Amino acid sequence: MSDVPVLRIEGLEAKVAESELGILNGLDLQIGKGEIHAIMGPNGSGKSTLAKVLAGHPGYEVTSGTVTFRGEDLLTLEADERSLAGVFLAFQYPVEIAGVSIANFLRTAVQAHLPEGEELDIFDFSDILTERMAMLDMDVTFAERHVNDGFSGGEKKRNEILQMAMLKPKLAVMDETDSGLDIDALKIVADGVNKLLAEDPDMSVLLITHYQRLLDYIKPHHVHVMVDGRIVESGGPEVALELEANGYRTYETIEPSANGSAPVA
Amino acid sequence: MSDSTTDALSAVAVDRLSLGEPQWLREQRAHAWDVYERTPMPTTRLEQWRYTDLAKTLDLSALTLSESQPAQDDPTTWPERLRVAMDEDHAASGHIVFIDGRVVHSDLDPSLVAKGVILMSLHEALDQHSHLLREHLTTTVPAEDGKFEALNAALWADGIFLYVPKGTQLDLPVRVTRWLSESGTAYFSRVLIVAESHSRISYVDEVLSDDFSSQTFTSTAVEVVARDGSQVQYVAVQRLGTNAFYQSVQRTLAHRDSKLDTLNVGLGASVSRVDLNAKLIGPGANSDMLGLYFGDASQHFDFNTSQDHLEPNTGSDLLYKGALDGDSRAVFRGIIRVHPGAQKTDAYQTCRTLLLSPGARVDSLPNLEIEADDVKCSHGATVGQLDAEAKFYLMSRGLDRVQAERLVVLGFLGEVMSRLPLGGVVDKVTRAIEEKLAQHG
Repeated sequence: MSDVPVLRIEGLEAKVAESELGILNGLDLQIGKGEIHAIMGPNGSGKSTLAKVLAGHPGYEVTSGTVTFRGEDLLTLEADERSLAGVFLAFQYPVEIAGVSIANFLRTAVQAHLPEGEELDIFDFSDILTERMAMLDMDVTFAERHVNDGFSGGEKKRNEILQMAMLKPKLAVMDETDSGLDIDALKIVADGVNKLLAEDPDMSVLLITHYQRLLDYIKPHHVHVMVDGRIVESGGPEVALELEANGYRTYETIEPSANGSAPVA
Repeated sequence: MSDSTTDALSAVAVDRLSLGEPQWLREQRAHAWDVYERTPMPTTRLEQWRYTDLAKTLDLSALTLSESQPAQDDPTTWPERLRVAMDEDHAASGHIVFIDGRVVHSDLDPSLVAKGVILMSLHEALDQHSHLLREHLTTTVPAEDGKFEALNAALWADGIFLYVPKGTQLDLPVRVTRWLSESGTAYFSRVLIVAESHSRISYVDEVLSDDFSSQTFTSTAVEVVARDGSQVQYVAVQRLGTNAFYQSVQRTLAHRDSKLDTLNVGLGASVSRVDLNAKLIGPGANSDMLGLYFGDASQHFDFNTSQDHLEPNTGSDLLYKGALDGDSRAVFRGIIRVHPGAQKTDAYQTCRTLLLSPGARVDSLPNLEIEADDVKCSHGATVGQLDAEAKFYLMSRGLDRVQAERLVVLGFLGEVMSRLPLGGVVDKVTRAIEEKLAQHG
C-alpha cells in the first residue's frame, strides 16, 4: 500500500443544495490502493448521498470537510473532471438516455478520457467494446440498445459494470448495486466486478449497500457502518455478519441522531 | 407593413415574369396577383397567425426581386458552402442546383430519363411538358388559399418539376440544393412533384445561406401528388442564415393506397413559417408527417399543420420534435380533420419540445375535428427541460457539459430521423445540429 491513500475523507458535511437539510455530518473515511471497502447503513443514513457527493452531483452542497483523491482536492472538480481523474460511480438508479445507443455513449465517454488531441480509433474502440462485453457475458447487440431505455433492473446494473469496464477507474463507488436484483442477476454483476478486480488489483472499490448478501459475492477488506451521516463503526468483514444478525438498531441506540429521533429503516 | 407592396413586388413585375410564357400561365399569374391584392395580409387576430406577427416580422415593401443573371452551371464558380452541402450528400438519382432563385444545374440518371422520369426546372418543363404543367401547376396549392399562396403563384421565378411515370421506382433520392446570397431580396419558387400510380420516389430539398445584412424573404409553394399505390418521401431541410424569413406552403395529396411521407427540418432563418396540409384523398392512403427543429438566439419557428382524412381506412401519423435554446421560440399548431364518411381513420399527432434555456418558449396547439364515428385519433404535446439527472449521469462518465447536452438533444431529436432514414439526411442534419450546439458551449 502506498503512503498516499486513493481516497481520504475528513470531517465531511454536506446538505441538499438550497436547503438546510444536512445529510452528511462529519464523515471520515480512508481507502487505500486496491482496497475494497463496504459502507452499510439503514435507509436515510446518507450512504447514497455520500456516493453522489463523491461523484459531484450538483444537487448536494459540501459545507465542511475535505475529500482528497490520490492527493488532489476532489471537491473543486466538476463531475466530468472527477471521471477523468478516475472516479466512477455505479448508479443506484441508472438514468435513461432516450435515442442514444450504448455504443455511441461509450464511444463519446472513452474519447473524453483520452489525452487532449488524441483521436479514438473507431475500429480499436469496437474491438475493445466487443472484448469487454464478451468478458461480462453480454450479447454484442446490447451495445445497439438505447442507454437504459426499457432495461430490466439487471440490465441496468450490467450496463453500469460495462461502463466501468470500459473506463477502468481507479476508484469505483458502487451505490446499492444489489438493489432490485434477484440472486442470479446479483451473481452476474458481482462476477463482472470480480473480473475487473482480478484484471486490475490496484482498483479500489467502495461498496454501498443495505444488505450483507452483496458482500457474499464481493469480499470487502473493510466494513463501515454509517448512521445519521457519519461512520459509527469500522472493522473487518465480521462487522457485516454482526449486522446481519443484530440489525442496525444496536447502532441507533448507541449513537442517537442529533435531534434525538433516529431514522428507522 | 402595408398590404400594398412597393414597385418591386407589383403587377409590373408579374407582367415582366410572364414575358414569353404561354397564355394560360400569363392568365394564371395575373389572376393570382389579383387574388393577392384582394386578400388582406394575415394578422394576429387570425388564429392561424396568432403567434407570428407579420406586422413586426416581415416588411415586404423593403424587398426587391433578384435582378442578377443566373449563375453558371459550373461547380467551380459556386459558393463553397453549397459545394460542401452537395459533397455531404450520398448517391442520388438526380440533382437540381438553385442559386439565387434560379435553377443553374439539373441532372438525372439517363436510365431514368429513358423510362420517362422528368426532373428539370419549371422553365424547361414549360417548353417540353407544357400540358403536364398546365394540368398540375397551382391546382394543389392555388392562389385562393391565402395571401402568400397568391403572391407565390403570381411571382414565382423558377421551380422544380419532378414527374415519375406509372410503375417507375427510383432507388436513390433526388437531391435539390439551394443557395441564396442577395440580402434584401424576395425569392419565389415552386416545387411540383407528380408520382404516378405504383411509382416510388424520395425527394430531398435543402436550402442554405450565410447570414444576411437585411431581411431576405424566401417563399416556396410545394405541391406533391401521389397517385394510387405510389410511395413518396418529401424532405425539406432549412439552414438559412439570420435575417432570413422562410415561408413554405406544402400540400400533399395521397391517393388510394399511396404512402406519402414528409419531413421538415428547421435549423436556420430568423423567422420560419411552414404550412403543411396532408390530404388523404383515396381509401387506404397513409402519410407520416415528421418534423424536427432546433432553435437558438431569437429564432422563431411556426409550424402550422393539418391532416385531412377524406376517405375511409386512411392513416396519418405526425411527430414533430424540437429543441429550443437561447430566447428562441416555436409554435406548433396542428389539426386532424376526419371528414364525414372517412371511417376507420387512424390519425395521430404528437409534438414534443425540449427547452434548453429559461428564455426559450413553445406554444403547442393540437386540435381534433372529427365527423366520423369509427375512428382512432389522438393528439398530444409535451414540453420538457434538459433533465439534470441525465446530464449528471453523462458527466459522471467524463462528458463535459456541451457533450452531455449534445448527446441528450441528438438522442431526443434522433427519434424523428430514425423514422425516415434517408441516406445522408441523418448525417447532414446531425452535423448541422452539432454545429449549432457547439456555438453554445
